[in-house]
Amino acid sequence: MEKKIANEIEDDNESIIEYSTESNIENSIVISHLTKCYKGKIAVNDLSFSIKKGEVFGLLGHNGAGKSTTIDCILGLKKFDKGNISVLGMNPVKKRKVLFQKVGVQLQESSYQDNLKVGELCEEMAALYDNSADYNELLKKFKLFSFKKRQISGLSGGEKQKLSVLLALIPNPEVVFFDELTTGLDTVARHEVWKQLKYLKEAKTTIFLTSHYMDEVEVLCDRVCIMKEGKDIVSGTVEELIRNSPYERLEEAYLWYMGEEAKHEDVF
Amino acid sequence: MRMFFKLLKVEGILAIRSIDGILFGICMPVGVILLIGMISGSKPAFDGANYTLLESSFGALITVGICATAFMGIPLTISDYRDKKILKHFFVTPVRPDMLLLVHGVINMIISIVSAVCVFLTVKIFFGYEMRGSTVGFILSYFLVMASMFSLGMLVASVCKNVKIANVVCSGVYFPMVFLSGATIPYEIFPMPLQHFSNILPLTQGIKLLKGYSLGLHQGNLIIPIVVMLVAIVVGLGVSIKTFRWE
Repeated sequence: MEKKIANEIEDDNESIIEYSTESNIENSIVISHLTKCYKGKIAVNDLSFSIKKGEVFGLLGHNGAGKSTTIDCILGLKKFDKGNISVLGMNPVKKRKVLFQKVGVQLQESSYQDNLKVGELCEEMAALYDNSADYNELLKKFKLFSFKKRQISGLSGGEKQKLSVLLALIPNPEVVFFDELTTGLDTVARHEVWKQLKYLKEAKTTIFLTSHYMDEVEVLCDRVCIMKEGKDIVSGTVEELIRNSPYERLEEAYLWYMGEEAKHEDVF
Repeated sequence: MRMFFKLLKVEGILAIRSIDGILFGICMPVGVILLIGMISGSKPAFDGANYTLLESSFGALITVGICATAFMGIPLTISDYRDKKILKHFFVTPVRPDMLLLVHGVINMIISIVSAVCVFLTVKIFFGYEMRGSTVGFILSYFLVMASMFSLGMLVASVCKNVKIANVVCSGVYFPMVFLSGATIPYEIFPMPLQHFSNILPLTQGIKLLKGYSLGLHQGNLIIPIVVMLVAIVVGLGVSIKTFRWE
């Protein structure tokens, strides 16, 4: 698929014109009828949703439900079989050079070059953008500044995860994607990350995240979509989802929507 | 441009920090040429040769840096970055991962050139070496050999699915190339059967070309090496463009 991307070297001027006329649109991300198959098996099945500017959107579901595939399709990393995708009014494959100036991405299980230090990684990432954020400030906010001269391989799992979230903020993004936002973080670190996300939300940054922690989703997300086997089984605001279920907490409502509340009760 | 130099700086620091390239690409050929110079520098390369072993070895050892970067540096770095999804991550930035490949190409070129310059300065300063043939021809040949070996290195990087396979393949290519092509052990002292085997290695032909120019030998014999180098470039780049995977 990447070869396809390689062939589509975009015309900068054209991209900038399109970007400036469409950057004020209300929806930051629009997905319609996205379908993606792997060797005959459907990974994402007719998925549609749109995310407004400044909204925090959570894509939920079990492992293998199609969340990461959906993100990969949205980001232009995977070709899809049917549907349309637009991010900030642009096609992510054709306009990647312009689009990714404004989009931050944290991919699942990021790993980095051997022997690379935290500060060097930030320096390298910052160099890729025209208007990058001050990474020293970000390191301070994420309580990672004291690790600047440390090798990344020497960081704990939680520190690496915080670093991967921080890297997604280096472009000063209008839209940011987090695939498994706080997996591996301890309670204190999760709250630090949430705090930073709330600042982003105040600054009207559009946030797209996947998470396995329902408490996190309740705290952060304006709207969620629950996926099962590639399909959207329910979507709406967190309050709506809880209201339309017999439960009072999102975690229980989630299991109920997934049709697994019986198994859940067995456990307790 | 600012971005290119920033990447070059950070990735360059990593290349120095990992030490392999410096050790195998620069220190080793300098050490070997010093030994050859001290042990048998002024002796003829073989019985009846009108040039010395040192003069003959210069054209060979100058390729060790190319060999180390082409068959260790380039394929191992690329497959490692692919395994770690570092190349994939560049697709979600304004810069394409090609830029990262280009940066690594330049870093490996610099290591090779530094290696060649160090070998040259060693023979010049310690043993008073003077090139007999055409300097321009020699330099052009050097870059031709570099281009063809780098193309073969890209081929290895493209064909190997992961860094473990790349490691095995690189060792299987690097060691025969560096020891049997005459790059470190002089081709002239090989027994005839080994010389025949050696002749099928592309680097052997590259070294013949370099020796031809450095020793001012008859240029007519250099057609075959030049053709072999060009074929290696076409095949190496062709196959890697066809088979390259970003992840």
